[in-house]
Amino acid sequence: MTCAEVTHRIPLYSYGEVSAELEEQIESHLADCPECRRALARHRVFLSALDARDDFAAAETMLLADCRRDLRLRLANENRPRAWAGLQWGSWLEALRGFSAFHIPFKVPVGAMALIALGWLGARYMPAKFGGVQASLSPAMFSTVQSIEPDASGKVQIAVDDVQRHMVTGSLEDPRIQALLLSAIREETNPGVRVQSIGALRNSPDSEEVRRALVDAVTHDPNPGVRLKALEGLKQYAGDPSVRKTLANVLLKDDNPGVRGQAIDLLTAHHDDSIVGVLQDVMQKEDDNYIRTRCRNLLEAMRASVGTF
Amino acid sequence: MHDAAETVCAGLAAPLDETGLIRAAQNGDQDAFERLVRTYDQSVLRLAANLLRSPDEARDVYQEALLKVYRNLHQFRFDCSFHTWLYRIVTNVCLDHLRRRKVRKEESTVVETSDGPVDRVAQLAEEAPASNPERQTWNRELSGRIASALEALTPRERTVFELRHYEGLRLRAIGDVLGTSEEAAKNCLFRATQKMRSSLEAFI
Repeated sequence: MTCAEVTHRIPLYSYGEVSAELEEQIESHLADCPECRRALARHRVFLSALDARDDFAAAETMLLADCRRDLRLRLANENRPRAWAGLQWGSWLEALRGFSAFHIPFKVPVGAMALIALGWLGARYMPAKFGGVQASLSPAMFSTVQSIEPDASGKVQIAVDDVQRHMVTGSLEDPRIQALLLSAIREETNPGVRVQSIGALRNSPDSEEVRRALVDAVTHDPNPGVRLKALEGLKQYAGDPSVRKTLANVLLKDDNPGVRGQAIDLLTAHHDDSIVGVLQDVMQKEDDNYIRTRCRNLLEAMRASVGTF
Repeated sequence: MHDAAETVCAGLAAPLDETGLIRAAQNGDQDAFERLVRTYDQSVLRLAANLLRSPDEARDVYQEALLKVYRNLHQFRFDCSFHTWLYRIVTNVCLDHLRRRKVRKEESTVVETSDGPVDRVAQLAEEAPASNPERQTWNRELSGRIASALEALTPRERTVFELRHYEGLRLRAIGDVLGTSEEAAKNCLFRATQKMRSSLEAFI
C-alpha cells in the first residue's frame, strides 16, 4: 500500500469504518512510515478540534421539558388513531343507519346482538361500584409483568409490579425531598431528570450525602450532560481534598473533552502545587487543544516542567 | 457524544416491553406512546438542535417529527428497529428544514427583547457550565469556524457528518436511517470530512 493510498483512507480509518483487511494493511504501513503516522496524528487533532463546537447537550434540558409539554398538548388535540376511529359516535350512527338496508328478518337478531354487545361493554367498563367488572388499572398506574405461572385449574397467575404516579411537594431542606432527589440521581433512567435533580440539590444545604451523590454522578454517570451538571454542583466543594481527587480522575479519564475541560477549570480555581503530577500526566495523554494549552500555561506558571522525564 | 450510538445499541437489543409499548400505542394508548418516545426524544432534540443550530427550529422539528411518528405508527411493521424507523422520520424532517433553509434567507437567531437584541444561540452556549473566559474565547472562535464549515456542506453531507461524528452512529445504521446504502453513506462522509478539514486547515 502506498502513502497516497493510506492518507486517502485516513478519514474513514479514523472512524473505524474500513474493513478489517484494509485496517490491517493501513496499520502495517503506519508501523513503518513516520510521514503517514504524522498525517494520522494531524487528522486526529482535526477530529478533536471539532469537539469545540457549541453543543446543545448541556443546555437542552429546559428545551426538552418544553417540547414534551407541547407534544402532550398536541397529542391531546390529535384525533384518536385507527383503533379508536371505528368506535367514534359518528361511525356508530353511520353503521346503524346502514342496517336499514338489510332485509327485515335480519333486523331483529342483529338488533338483539347489538343490545347484548352494548350490555357487555357497559358491564365491562362501568365502575365496579355500579356493578361493572372492576378495571384492573387506574390511568396513572404503570404496570410491569414480572412472571406468568399457569396453575392446575387452567388459569394463569401473573405477578404484576404496579407503579403509581403521585405528586410530592416540599422544600429542599425536607429530608424526604432530598432522599427522592438523591434517588433520582442514582436510579432514574432519564438523563434529563437526573440533570434536574442535580440542579435542585445544588441549592440544598451542604450535606455529605449530596456531595457523595455528585461525586458518584461525575464519576459514573454515562451521560456527559449529567456529568457536567454534577461538576457544576461540585464547584462549591472544589477545595475539598477528596473532591479534588475525583476531579483529577475525571481530568485523566473522562472520555468527553467538555467534561475534562470543566474539571481542569475547577481544579485550577484553587492554587495547589500537588496537581503538578496530574497536569504532567494530562500533557502526555491529552488530545484536546484547549486542555493541553491550559495545562501548559498552568505548569509554566508553577515553574514546573511541561513533560515527565 | 456517543449517546445516540448507545441508544441505537439499546434499540437493537430492544427492551422486552418496547414491543408492548408500540402495540399499545398503535391501539391508541397515548401514555404508552409518550413512554415509548421518551426513550429516544432527548437524542432527537439534540440531533435537531445541533443540525439546525436553532432551538426554535429544533423545537419545530421535535413536534413535527414526533407527531408524524404518532400518526404513522400503525404503519410500523417491526421490520426494522423502532429506533431506526423513528430516526428515519426525524432525519427526513431535519433534511427538509435544511433544504428549505438553502432556498430562503436564514432566519437570524437574534431576537429583540426589553434588554435589547439577544442572540438565542449564544445565550444558550453561555448558559452552559463552562465559565472560564480564556476557554470561552478559544471555543467561540473555533466554534464559529466549525459552524461555518458545517453550514457549507450539503444538507445530506451535513446530516451524515452529524450522525457519524457527533452522534457516533455507524455508517451502516446511517444508511438504514437515510434509506441508502452503507457505501453511499461512506462516500458522503468522506466528502464531508474532506470539506470540513479543508475549511478548518488554517485554524488547526
